[in-house]
Amino acid sequence: MKFSLKLLLCTMMVLATALGFSGYYFVNYVFETSIAREAQQALDDDSILRFAFETAALNVPAKYDMLQDQTVEQIASNLETGGQNTRRMLRLCDEQKNVLYMSDGFVADDGLLVQTDESTRTWQVVRLDNRFYIRTGSTVNALNRVLYLETMRNVSEVFEERELGFKVYRRVTILMLFLGALIMHFISSWLTRPIRQLTKATKHMAAGEYDYRARKVSNDELGQLTKDFNRMAEALENNMNELEAQIQDREDFVAAFAHELKTPLTSIIGYADMLRSRKLDEEKSFLSANYIYTEGKRLEAMSLRLLEIIVTKRQKIEMQLISTDSLFDYLQNMFAGEREMDFCFSREKAKVWAEPNLIKTVLVNLVDNACKASEAGGKIEVCGSCTENGYRFDVRDYGIGIDNKELKNITKAFYMVDKSRSRSKNGAGLGLALCVEILYLHKSRLKIASEPGKGSRFSFVLPMEIKQQENAADGTAQETKAGGLI
Amino acid sequence: MIKILIVDDEKPICDLIDLNLSAAGYSCAAVQDGLEAINLIEKETFDLILLDIMLPGASGYDIMEYIRPLSVPVIFITAKHEVRDRVKGLKLGADDYLVKPFDVVELTARVEAVLRRYNKANQILTAGDVSVDLEARRVTKAGRPVALTNKEFGLLVLFMQNKNIALFRETLYEKVWEEEYFGDSRTLDLHVQRLRKKLGWERKLAAVYKVGYRLEEPK
Repeated sequence: MKFSLKLLLCTMMVLATALGFSGYYFVNYVFETSIAREAQQALDDDSILRFAFETAALNVPAKYDMLQDQTVEQIASNLETGGQNTRRMLRLCDEQKNVLYMSDGFVADDGLLVQTDESTRTWQVVRLDNRFYIRTGSTVNALNRVLYLETMRNVSEVFEERELGFKVYRRVTILMLFLGALIMHFISSWLTRPIRQLTKATKHMAAGEYDYRARKVSNDELGQLTKDFNRMAEALENNMNELEAQIQDREDFVAAFAHELKTPLTSIIGYADMLRSRKLDEEKSFLSANYIYTEGKRLEAMSLRLLEIIVTKRQKIEMQLISTDSLFDYLQNMFAGEREMDFCFSREKAKVWAEPNLIKTVLVNLVDNACKASEAGGKIEVCGSCTENGYRFDVRDYGIGIDNKELKNITKAFYMVDKSRSRSKNGAGLGLALCVEILYLHKSRLKIASEPGKGSRFSFVLPMEIKQQENAADGTAQETKAGGLI
Repeated sequence: MIKILIVDDEKPICDLIDLNLSAAGYSCAAVQDGLEAINLIEKETFDLILLDIMLPGASGYDIMEYIRPLSVPVIFITAKHEVRDRVKGLKLGADDYLVKPFDVVELTARVEAVLRRYNKANQILTAGDVSVDLEARRVTKAGRPVALTNKEFGLLVLFMQNKNIALFRETLYEKVWEEEYFGDSRTLDLHVQRLRKKLGWERKLAAVYKVGYRLEEPK
């Protein structure tokens, strides 16, 4: 059963009970009051009659010292018709409760008579042919006789009113219930709207529509639940997207790897096959052998790089304090033989926390990339400077630069912006991927700024030894130049 | 002479295909860039284009769009081996699909097959005084017909398509019998013997020690 229907039914039940009870109580209260008033009226009438009777009895001629039965009858008859508008109904009985006089239509029932005695007046409601009467009973003392006087007063009207009251109330109740049901229906469906929204959202999400969100329609607990649900969905979706992106990355990697592997293999297999199955002239033999050699070398370089990345990923590095001087000296030595480029090294003295061999790899890779991106004779700047966040390394070239939309791809394994160019310089597209991996281990990130045609700047920051900061302020930046084209 | 354009960003692979197809008697041109390839296709007419997919400038799929209206047969040569890549290539209108790394013999066979489909291939192969009509499956030596079995005919065609190339026993067996070669079968040798005898090619169809056979044809 639907929650809104349950809510509706419960409310209806409560409403029906409340209306029923209050209606019954109200009508009954009115009835009780009326009947009490009528009873009082009847008793008053009774008193008047008694008084009238006693007065009449006094007027009886004195020759009778006892009230005769005929006289009683006479007086009663007179009283019966003596009312102002309606005929009174009365009965008179003697001491032995034998009926002396009885009006027409008086109910022959002695129940009340039994209870009546000299000191008490009684009344009761009796029913006669769908009509209701109030019967009163009292004693009359006249001429040494004690007579029992009973009256009857028609109170059907009060009962009819009660019936009418109940009838009207029933109608009102049914109407109210109907209206109430209608209103409650709207209210309950309004109240359960957030639940329906949530259900809808759950169904959508179960069907795979993970970006569907439940609409928040209230500010109560259900609204809070909706909010929390949406937050949960958000978290799930993000997680899923992340996983999917990871899988996609892995697939891309495998595809790129397969491609990179197959290309040199095709050449190696093809040329080797040619060499073994055909008589080639000397020039072609040399060409084939040379291709086999260079492509083999390429495979070797690639597998070594790949191994490096995998090992680096698995590695736990031990950070140590190293002076930036040692890093720069190493770089200068490394590229001293490269006479085609115009190197410019500038550094501030400091000590940084790093794993020396890995950081050297990063720097060598970055400088190597800068060389590849530049024309012969191009300027390459390598700077080290102290900043607030740590020691900052900058490798700047004025070469071809990188297109903006390529920027986020260049750190992916095997990605090469210009494949033929990079290939001609013996790149495998793995250098930057390795750098990113190493810097990740150092909790640092590679920042790349580049403009096509103007060159690129690769930079990263390493944590410094604290006290070096003051020294760095007064220490003059050393500038050394290496390379042939000074 | 049949002109073939080779588009591959790898110089070594271009050269490899070039060398082999030239040896098989085709005239080849090779480019390493997608845009250059389009320029060349617009300027010259080719009988067949061998196309790599991952290219600088314009991808193989893009180039395919240019080629389609020209109705020049295309064979994709690529390292992408997934079924959906192959289907995409073929749906774009390529005639065949060759996955790297490939056998040179397979390359020439496929080139041959595609050209034959376009009626561009040499329907008549000759070597010395022997000529083979591929369509009629007729072999003549000095004008007189020679009766060959199915397998002998297959072997002969393979040798004539790969003149001066040593064909390995397993290659021969796999291409003609279309079964895997286990290295102990004498069937191949028997068939070659009979072929030699029928054509009088005892010298010409030379055995290559530990390899297989080679049809020697002075250039």
